[in-house]
Amino acid sequence: MKKIKNMFRYENVGILFVFPAFLYMLVFVGYPIIRNIILSFQDVGAGNLVRGTKNFILFENYAELFGDSVFRISLFNTLKYTVLCLIFQFMIGFMLALFFNQRFTLAKPVRGILLVPWMIPVTVTALMFKLLFATDIGVINYILRSLHLIQKNIEWLTTPGTAMFALICANVWIGIPFNMILISTGLTTIPKELYESASIDGANKVQTFFNITLPLLKPTIESVLILGFIYTFKVYDLVYVMTSGGPVNSTHMLSTYSYKLSFEMFKYSKGSAVANVLLAILLVVGIFYIKITTQGEEE
Amino acid sequence: MKRKKITALLAVFAMTVSLAAGCGNAEKAGTVADNAAADNAESSVESNSDEAPEETGQETAGEENAPSGEAQAVTIWYYWETEGHQVALDQVIQDYNGSQDSYEVTAKYVPFADFKKQLSIGASADELPDIAILDSPDHASYVEMGIFEDLTGKFDVGSYYEGTVNSCTVDGKLYGVPFGVNCLALYYNEDMLNEAGCSVPTTWEELMTTAKALTTDSVTGLALCSVQNEEGTFNFVPWLWSTGATSYDINNENGIRALSFIQSLIEEEVMSKECINWTQGDVMNQFISGNVAMMENGPWQIPTMQQEAPDLNWKVTLIPKDSEYSSVLGGENYAVINGGNVEGALDFLNYATSEEKVKFLMDKFGYISADKSIAENQFEADSPYQPFVEELNYAMPRGPLAEWPGVSDAISLAFNQVITGTATPEDAAAEAQATIDGIVK
Repeated sequence: MKKIKNMFRYENVGILFVFPAFLYMLVFVGYPIIRNIILSFQDVGAGNLVRGTKNFILFENYAELFGDSVFRISLFNTLKYTVLCLIFQFMIGFMLALFFNQRFTLAKPVRGILLVPWMIPVTVTALMFKLLFATDIGVINYILRSLHLIQKNIEWLTTPGTAMFALICANVWIGIPFNMILISTGLTTIPKELYESASIDGANKVQTFFNITLPLLKPTIESVLILGFIYTFKVYDLVYVMTSGGPVNSTHMLSTYSYKLSFEMFKYSKGSAVANVLLAILLVVGIFYIKITTQGEEE
Repeated sequence: MKRKKITALLAVFAMTVSLAAGCGNAEKAGTVADNAAADNAESSVESNSDEAPEETGQETAGEENAPSGEAQAVTIWYYWETEGHQVALDQVIQDYNGSQDSYEVTAKYVPFADFKKQLSIGASADELPDIAILDSPDHASYVEMGIFEDLTGKFDVGSYYEGTVNSCTVDGKLYGVPFGVNCLALYYNEDMLNEAGCSVPTTWEELMTTAKALTTDSVTGLALCSVQNEEGTFNFVPWLWSTGATSYDINNENGIRALSFIQSLIEEEVMSKECINWTQGDVMNQFISGNVAMMENGPWQIPTMQQEAPDLNWKVTLIPKDSEYSSVLGGENYAVINGGNVEGALDFLNYATSEEKVKFLMDKFGYISADKSIAENQFEADSPYQPFVEELNYAMPRGPLAEWPGVSDAISLAFNQVITGTATPEDAAAEAQATIDGIVK
């Protein structure tokens, strides 16, 4: 009785509010993930998906994965793709945010228009970039040829190295507005007075940037990078439409490889093991994020 | 402070996890969008042509003819994206629904890229149609999954082509009914051939010489779909088999010769590297646009080609041979799902496989009947389809093998490595053989 009464005490009432959301997450997010983890410890293929016994083979799927060259390629690809995309998206987004933070005519409407890449469905963007990077009919080769920068058409999407480059270009284009808008919002929270007093003290633009803008934007930058990491790391549709993991598996990501194993080759357990590796990496990133953000509050 | 940390940790867990789950949702949304896009494309095509009826095959069949009695529902899944195919299937379904009162058939379009996924998900969630019309090389995998009804003795396939019956037979039991067959052959642009003064190639050597003669600044001699999936494998195996190699035995003189030939086509620039990104439909589009002088493709392209490029002067011939003529058997099979409305499904299949209906469907689809007795008299002697009937004599099925997707993956990787120049034919053959040995043994 006392316990129930305790639950309704003011300090604990928050838990009650969280409860419905928690229940929802448990059913619609928790259950599938736990099922997926169980699946990855079994040996489910076409033969025993519906009938027959599903044997527990524990870490055999994972062991097999680390000996699988395509898995290693896709793990490395996902990391490389994420890091490179983040660097360019963030830098270009930051510069654009600073630029549009200046008050000039049309700054706001133009910034709004720049959001378009973020709003277009990824499938559409992917098809667009696939055509742009096409060897014989692509606009990019046409421009490069017209400028006499190249003699022969570059085979962007049919050569392993350049296909990854094309994917990164497409994703940077999508990601810039996301970075720009979050950093712009962060910039508006910095009090004007700080800049005024800095200029009275004789600080130049570079000094103000490194001593006022950057430190005060730290929380925003951290969120932008972590969110960007998560969004980029789980890329699927862009790669599926532009290259389907080709040529010769050179652009497979964890997500596309997991899909291929599960739904094209009927290796359900191995496919879910790949998905769990993806999940584990994202969890590590998330915990890292918590570490940084709570440190700030404890000080 | 500690509590705050824990709450925060939970929050971040929830965030990453929901994003990971959101990845799945996005996929689903993607497929819905794809569907919608396909729908739009179809409806815009429809609005341009007067004769196309309002309905495509998408869960529309038979609504008008809904009988008053308690009709049992029979559902069909299929993946044909061509509008003509959907309309033809819809027509047969409506005729069937109008002809009797016991069953009400509806059909649902699932995009090819999602078809296998939907069947797998449906199998584990117990939400399957009563009939699936699926790609023949996948048949054995789903039989192993145990979702198909054993039709042995319930359906007479005595007059069907042996290869097609084999594709739905596992351990001597019949698990499906062939819908229709097709195979690949060589299309050539007759005007370009005449202009270059070439005769129709029948061997690889002749093909290479002809392709070189036909290649100009704006035209490449030959194109064949080489995407790294089942579609690409389908287009590559005729070349492989023509040398005497089998799908399971590649790392030998014959297998390497097939890979080397594809490599030489690329090196001599008579075939574009872009072929690894071209579906069979893309290849056909390049051919009718006059960018490609010869292509390997199937008979289902003929209705579209006649409609889109009525003036193009093309002909079809056997795929040139190395040591023997060879082609690959394609097409779909009907499969009846066990646990569903089996009686209704069989009743519809009996109706849809009657000579009259088969002729109607095959004609609209650009397919050849899987029923030999129908196929032999299906076309006039000068019909563009006739070479495909001849090619059928050399066509072999892929598999049937439950692990075929794994074998196919190894084969498609091998020719993609060769085309992109990431491996020599010898290395590609050895790698593919190692993978295949790991699967088949």
